[in-house]
Amino acid sequence: MDEVFKALADSSRRSLLDRLHARNGQTLNELCEGLAMTRQAVTKHLAILEEANLITTIRHGREKLHYLNPVPIHQIGERWIRKFERSKLAALNELKRQLENGDE
Amino acid sequence: MNLDQFKPLTVYTIYIASTPEKVWEALTSAEFSRKYFSGFAVEMEPKLGGSFVVHAPDGSEHIRGEVFEYDPPRRLTVSWNVNWPDLVEKLGTTIVTYEIEQAGEAVRLTLSQRHDRELSDDILSGGRTGWPAILSGLKSLLETGKAPHIEMSPPVRLLEALKAMGIKVP
Repeated sequence: MDEVFKALADSSRRSLLDRLHARNGQTLNELCEGLAMTRQAVTKHLAILEEANLITTIRHGREKLHYLNPVPIHQIGERWIRKFERSKLAALNELKRQLENGDE
Repeated sequence: MNLDQFKPLTVYTIYIASTPEKVWEALTSAEFSRKYFSGFAVEMEPKLGGSFVVHAPDGSEHIRGEVFEYDPPRRLTVSWNVNWPDLVEKLGTTIVTYEIEQAGEAVRLTLSQRHDRELSDDILSGGRTGWPAILSGLKSLLETGKAPHIEMSPPVRLLEALKAMGIKVP
């Protein structure tokens, strides 16, 4: 679990996860598009994320595709968030989202 | 059916302190699956071209498919078609592959869910909510002998999206 927290403690790596969350199954080229990071840096970050099991890669034809793997995050949730707290947290999160968007 | 036409849309990996043989057995037998898959019973004819069926806890047939890749205890590919009227006609066949590899003292299990067309996040949300719970349950069962009871809320987003496509849902 140390690896998961270390991997998440970097904003570039979190933004790569965000990109996969927005669109799962991207190639390295697609992930590099529009980023202010070298291809080499992206490759290094992806390796750390894969090592922490936060992403999984699969070969599809000639392409290597990257997928967000939420299993370790799910396990963290199972460990520290009890069932009865879940609905309260969801409600608080929704309230925060609405207030921050300022559109409600 | 040409499996290459099916692109993975959802992929999950989990490490389990167990053996490939035990993971394979847990994925393909009703006795195990009932414990980690909310009471659902997986019944598979163990051969290429064999049937792959999942019965719901009430005994009804929930999923019917076929075995497309059979390489125990390393790789299993099945079609995973939910038996709701019009669902397969509108969404196409769902292909599920399990890859099992030894990784040191643990086993690395990778699940991929593949489709022959683009599907919306709403449609995919069903599997994306369900699989992490199923895989966590499988891991607990194999490592501790007991799977926790995970409360699953109905897949509201998926059901709404199916209704909007004119698919009748229970």
